[in-house]
Amino acid sequence: MLFRRIYQFLIVYSIGLISLLLIKAGLSLSDYVIPGFGLILETLGQVFDTYFLDVMNTMSVTVLGQCVSIAMAFGVGIAGRRSSWMGSFIKVTAYNIQAYPIVALAPIIFILLGDGFISRLLIASMICYFPLLLSVLGIMATPVEDIEHFYIITGRMRWQLEVKIRAFENLSKLTTVISGSATLAMAGTIVAEFIAANAGIGYSIRVALYQSDLAKILIALFMIGIIISIYQGCLETLGEQIKTRWSDSKGGNTR
Amino acid sequence: MKKQNFIILWIFLFIAIFSAASHADEIELNYRLKWLFNTSVAGDIYAEAKGYFKDTGLKVNVREGSPEKNAINELELGHADFGVASADQVIRALDKGAKIIVLAQLFQVNPMQWIYRADQPEIKTLEDLKGRNIGITFGGNDETVMNTLFAKAGITKKDVKITGVRFDFTPFFKRDVEVWPVYFNSQGVILKSKLEKEGEKVYFFNPADFGVNFVANSVITSEKAWKSRPEIVKNFMAALLKGWEAAMDPANETDVLVAVKKLDKESNDELRRLQLIATRELIKPSGAVKIGTIDKEAWKQTETIMLTEKQIKQPVHVETILKN
Repeated sequence: MLFRRIYQFLIVYSIGLISLLLIKAGLSLSDYVIPGFGLILETLGQVFDTYFLDVMNTMSVTVLGQCVSIAMAFGVGIAGRRSSWMGSFIKVTAYNIQAYPIVALAPIIFILLGDGFISRLLIASMICYFPLLLSVLGIMATPVEDIEHFYIITGRMRWQLEVKIRAFENLSKLTTVISGSATLAMAGTIVAEFIAANAGIGYSIRVALYQSDLAKILIALFMIGIIISIYQGCLETLGEQIKTRWSDSKGGNTR
Repeated sequence: MKKQNFIILWIFLFIAIFSAASHADEIELNYRLKWLFNTSVAGDIYAEAKGYFKDTGLKVNVREGSPEKNAINELELGHADFGVASADQVIRALDKGAKIIVLAQLFQVNPMQWIYRADQPEIKTLEDLKGRNIGITFGGNDETVMNTLFAKAGITKKDVKITGVRFDFTPFFKRDVEVWPVYFNSQGVILKSKLEKEGEKVYFFNPADFGVNFVANSVITSEKAWKSRPEIVKNFMAALLKGWEAAMDPANETDVLVAVKKLDKESNDELRRLQLIATRELIKPSGAVKIGTIDKEAWKQTETIMLTEKQIKQPVHVETILKN
């Protein structure tokens, strides 16, 4: 799973890079507009260390932001799973708020909280949170009737059990959504850094943009892509392992 | 009835053919600015609004710029015929093999300056920068300029506190950053007027006063256009500089502000007027200066600074592409 993620990314990146180099050659563009392969390699040598640390910095905020958003999504998803008035109110509120562009709110967040770690974390969490919430709400609000029925009839149903049944019966969906949300958390962090922060790879891309240095931007994109592929691969592998264990404990059948 | 319809049809056809023929003589060009529409580009807007381009047989689409809309890239890609770029962009592009020509230098004084409150000691020598918290846009040309000033005065990074800044002025208002980078004729005017409303006076720190002349916005075109369409280049520049001359004439102030207001709806009337006055000081610092004059020595100094700051790999001999 992990290696498949990495080579899939390498294929996509290579196609993109080759296309750019073909455009450069076709239109006889200078290195200022599209850098040549030699210049990209030279720039890689110059900025690798700095950009690696920048990506790791961004990644640390991403992972933390994703954990926060998962916790929030499950909290709200569990609270909003009921078909009661409060449950439907939470659902409607969540659906409406998610339509609001977080990027538009980002400058306000930076003005109020400054351009430090907290602002980046908050924006990353918010961008990652809403798609997660919608999936979690959908899963938690849908009863697994054939299993839940037994516990309801025997009077043993508690909310913790209900959540557990719905989560484990939809483990495939949940792991896919969580691993997919890693990309959103990364994108959120980079957007935050690009808009106003003074650290991370998004900030470095902004600086490179000021200098119209596409070689640096291409290297930044490569490093972001490779690191997020590794992270997603790890999440998927972890999800697979949990699924396998759950399946084994149930006698071999998951949804 | 049928006869009437027939006559109307002929009138329409005649108008359509006539208007097409009258436009056929016009040559359509795209002109990419460096930044958004505001009084900093009053001359560009005025040349279009007063029909100076049209008078020379050109239909010029004046387009706003931004960090993402780079005139040099657009020239190479064929999306623009003329553009505005700062000297550091031009020199960086030359270093990477771009074939461009500088036709005029719009700002005789670089608007990139620093603002600070007058309740702080005035910066009379570069030594006075020591101990201050100075804002810098990392990657921007203000970083290069400030580094040059530090090198000139033998100031190390330990002697000052550097803070990375963006477009949000809050750290300056909160006094977290004391010396803040601004464009003198746009943000400088806004900040000055805001602080004056609060009873605070300000100073501007201009690097040119300390011998660092880093060239700002200039009009550029591609080497190909310069060689293959000299008449169009000549006509474009004549109309553009006529626009700038007229826009910087205080007698046309009201007219110019009306033209700018049509495109810049963000600022209020008084702010635009103050910005226009500030722009005049930078474009035409004295009556003797002809608008568009290229200061070759300043360009060479800009190249030397960028070479020293390792922003370019080798000398690009920028003086060879200055055509004025």
